[in-house]
Amino acid sequence: MSGEPLLRVRGVHRRFRTGPTVVHALRGVSFDVAAGSMVALVGRSGSGKTTLLNIIGGLDRPDAGTVHVDGTDVTALDEDGLSRLRREKVSYVFQSFGLIPVLSAAENVAAPLRLARVAPAERERRVELLLELIGLADHARQRPTELSGGQQQRVAIARALAASPQLLLADEPTGQLDAETGLSVMALLRGIAEAEGVTVVVSTHDAVMMALADRVIRIHDGHLDEQSAGQPSAPVPDVR
Amino acid sequence: MKRWLTRRWPALHWPSIRGRGRTDAGPLLLTAAVIAAVALLAGAAPALLRAAADDAVQDTVRRAGQDSNVSAHADWERDDGPTGGRVRAPRLAGNVDDFRARATYALGPDLDAALLPPVAVVNGPILSITDGTAPRTFQFTYLAGDLGGPAVTWIAGNAPGPTVTGEYVETPYGGPPWPVQVGLSEADATALQLAPGDRIPLSDGRGRDMDVRVSGIYRPADTADPAWRLALSLLRPVPGADGVGTTRFGGLLSRESLPDARLAVDQDQLRRTVHFAPEPDALTWDTAGALASRVVKLKATSGSSADRDESLKWESQLDTALRDARTRISAVLTQAAVLLTGVLTATVLVLLLAAELLVRRRTPALSAARQRGAALPDLGAELLIESAVVSLSAAAVGLALARAAAPGISWIGAVPVVLAGAVAGPAFGTLAAARASRDRRQPANPAARRWIRATGRLRRAAVEAAVLIPAVAAFGALHQRGLLPVASDGDTGELSGDLVLPISALALGALVGALVLLRLLPLGARFALRQALRSRRPLAVFGAARAATTAGRALPLLVLVSTMALASFALILGATVTRGLADGAWSTVGADARLDVGADAEAATPALADRIAAAPGVRQVVVAQVTDSARVFTESTPLTPRLVVVDADAFQRLLATTPLPNAPALARLTAPGPGPGDVPALVRSSDGVLGTGTRLQLTRDDAPAIRLTAVGTAPSVGGADDVVIVDAAALADAGLPAVPNTVWVTGPGAARAVSNSGVAADVVLRADVLRAQRATPLTTGLLRLAWTAAAVLLALGLLGLTLAAAAGASERWQTLTRLRTLGLRPRDARWVAAGELLPPVVVAAVCGPLLGVLLARLMLGPLDLRLLTGQAADPGVVLPWWLLGLVSVALLAAAATVVPVESALRRRDRLSEVLRAGE
Repeated sequence: MSGEPLLRVRGVHRRFRTGPTVVHALRGVSFDVAAGSMVALVGRSGSGKTTLLNIIGGLDRPDAGTVHVDGTDVTALDEDGLSRLRREKVSYVFQSFGLIPVLSAAENVAAPLRLARVAPAERERRVELLLELIGLADHARQRPTELSGGQQQRVAIARALAASPQLLLADEPTGQLDAETGLSVMALLRGIAEAEGVTVVVSTHDAVMMALADRVIRIHDGHLDEQSAGQPSAPVPDVR
Repeated sequence: MKRWLTRRWPALHWPSIRGRGRTDAGPLLLTAAVIAAVALLAGAAPALLRAAADDAVQDTVRRAGQDSNVSAHADWERDDGPTGGRVRAPRLAGNVDDFRARATYALGPDLDAALLPPVAVVNGPILSITDGTAPRTFQFTYLAGDLGGPAVTWIAGNAPGPTVTGEYVETPYGGPPWPVQVGLSEADATALQLAPGDRIPLSDGRGRDMDVRVSGIYRPADTADPAWRLALSLLRPVPGADGVGTTRFGGLLSRESLPDARLAVDQDQLRRTVHFAPEPDALTWDTAGALASRVVKLKATSGSSADRDESLKWESQLDTALRDARTRISAVLTQAAVLLTGVLTATVLVLLLAAELLVRRRTPALSAARQRGAALPDLGAELLIESAVVSLSAAAVGLALARAAAPGISWIGAVPVVLAGAVAGPAFGTLAAARASRDRRQPANPAARRWIRATGRLRRAAVEAAVLIPAVAAFGALHQRGLLPVASDGDTGELSGDLVLPISALALGALVGALVLLRLLPLGARFALRQALRSRRPLAVFGAARAATTAGRALPLLVLVSTMALASFALILGATVTRGLADGAWSTVGADARLDVGADAEAATPALADRIAAAPGVRQVVVAQVTDSARVFTESTPLTPRLVVVDADAFQRLLATTPLPNAPALARLTAPGPGPGDVPALVRSSDGVLGTGTRLQLTRDDAPAIRLTAVGTAPSVGGADDVVIVDAAALADAGLPAVPNTVWVTGPGAARAVSNSGVAADVVLRADVLRAQRATPLTTGLLRLAWTAAAVLLALGLLGLTLAAAAGASERWQTLTRLRTLGLRPRDARWVAAGELLPPVVVAAVCGPLLGVLLARLMLGPLDLRLLTGQAADPGVVLPWWLLGLVSVALLAAAATVVPVESALRRRDRLSEVLRAGE
């Protein structure tokens, strides 16, 4: 784990207007995440976890504040810059997997590599490696509908890692999985993060998931829990 | 027990109903607009067609003219006297009046109300005018309506008077000819060069001289008086009435001279008839059947012509005319029903698509309501109330507008549309809400996943079979029984239940075609995806992937393909009828213009033809002698075909340079004769009596008959079914020189050239005939319906495209947004969206019109379009390629517009909001 922060969030504010009502989703959120670490973003529904992840990944823009990923100010990038950032540095894992149903597991994993115009041979090698890593090498030709929910989420994780991002953002990746499958997915995420040296920020409200993180950041009504922002989490149980 | 099972009424949450209505006001208004528009069309079209049917019945009877008269005749009471002679009956005219009243009473009130006041006609036999060389005939006639005969002015002499004034006169059989006085029209008197007091040189069929004198010369007060139509020779000489080359003259009898006319001829030679001309305005489609039945009954119960008594013997072609009209109307009504069924089917599909869009928008809210504990029946009832209000009120508006356009609307056509609008939304919504409370996770067990897939396939196969089986049955019924109702006397003329299946054939055929394409499109999309995966272009991969993902969506493809196919069918139907009418006009006239030269000017016809040929813009001029109902005999059968005596080479050139069917057999008419003394002829007969090799005899009054031998099949001339054509030179060689009475003219200047002919001739212009045929009520009605249906179907197709794009937009942009999280650039997203949207559109734009062409080829035959175009055979299918291309281009252009517009609208959405909405 490097001491330099890969992710630097400073004074991020985000308000949403719903008719006459203004909702303060984030109120001056600031924190750093060191490269190679796995951080769990914890809070109740509506606490601002997803909003924070979206702003970090450039899917949303803050009303105030900055976000730097590997030294790049995400909030200052235009759409093309953000696209490049997502191709090269940041990737996502969603609760609902988001796989393309007519593509096989291998083709889904290869999608970011196609966008990055990686040469076919290199692409195949990388896909093979990742499928091996998530334990689905035997299911490479199967389509998402032929896979279980846990397997689909593994493919989604492999796809997120395909382009060798520096930062992986996972928004409740186990939300549609049962507890056991969810735990194995989280363990996989943790293992791959270490293996690939990827920084992971994962939102969750599952206590077991939190236990796998290097650090837990609690968020409540748009504020970070002051005590959690810089504190490492409890020791990580070995579930791999 | 579930709570809702114990309740009598669903628990409705009115704020939710109002809230959903406000939120989705756009789609609901769109649904209402579609229902209102189609209810207007479905409600007004049958009423308008019914009005057109009434007009068509009246039009048919008007065109039939004298053929549609109802007439009755009866023999006279014998006039044998007590001393072995014949007794003059001075009150014979009163006897005719009684006979007319008796016939009127026998009609019955309904038929009497549909007929004009009767005219009694008493005709003498056809007599020969014995002076001169030209064959001329004469007939004396007495006309008497309720108010007497037609009014005349005596410009010379007096009205015919009685020969004797005594009350009782008996004349012996075999005595000298009994004198009788007649009046002559100006034209007849001039042609015969007779004056009052002159004796007309006449002999009867047995060669006995007649004593007929001219009492005066009259001028008709109104030549349009219907009574004159019953004896045209009383107005002017009538050429050809008694055979080729003959001219008939007429003598008018009065009430006073009628008794003498009876004695002037043999006992049974004076014939009395009462004619009832129909009153077209009193005829309607509804009454036509009953009137035709009444006429048939009169004819069936009338006395035999062999009976020598005073019983009424009825004759009429009115029943045939009405039956033909009803057949044509039935054909048009079924043709219209086929089109309307197609429109209604397409509308139902569009409404299902609209309901799908509505439910996709509402799924989150419905799911939330369900998860909060709302019962499915309650949700279904809430949705049903909303959709029922929308559908019923929209249909009411549509039907009210239809009523304003056409009184007597039919609401039945609107029922399927209202049902689809009312039921589809609640059904889809309830299913969506039910899915919300189910475990949505993918089963981990592969067998369970296979079971789910197999169940889905089975369900789909069942739906396809439910369409395919009726479609096969519909096409079978269509080709086996056709589309015309099985006519029976007294039938109502309504479309009967057994027609439902064949009428649905078009709609079912379009659905089957769309289902086939629905099976093929995923295969094609997967093939394209496999090809794209081999390429290095990521956009091609993702576009093809999206296309393959959505290729199985049924409703968008069904809507697009079926609307395009049905619109194309309507266009083909319209084009085929339009071309059929044009061909029919060519067939009726025989050229761009035709001159029917009057008897007085026949001698000038060749010079007239030369003058016309020299006029600017005239390409061809062909003269012929055309005689309708010529007296021709086979060995044992008398025939009355249309005899055409023409220069065969010139006639063949005329046919070859016009759209009329070519007749190479005409060349055989100028070849050496088939036998010594035989004139070669081409023959055509509707009943197949005449064929190649048939020997015919063309009778003449004063010379031996001319022998004809059929050497081939004649083309139809002027739409006549029974035709004999001979070469003019060949007939002249056989001793009968032609007297041309018809001039056919082609070329752009034909109309002007014949209009300025300067001779007494009827001018028949093809353009006028075509205009008249197009203006017939049934033709106008069906063509309007075909073009309207095509426009409505195209509009439904474009609306379907928009709805399909809107219904899939959320999922599409979810996927595109996820791809953007992988690095897809915003401007590239639209190409991926186009990759998804275009395949079904391209398939519909290409295959829809082709399917329409296929359906037209399968269906236009059984539709009996010849009944509409007036042709002898069904018109060939005409494919208006530029119109079909326009339909395709319209769809492709709409798709090309939808993609950038959707892209521009979606670009405003933040990625985070799209992803959040999709969770």
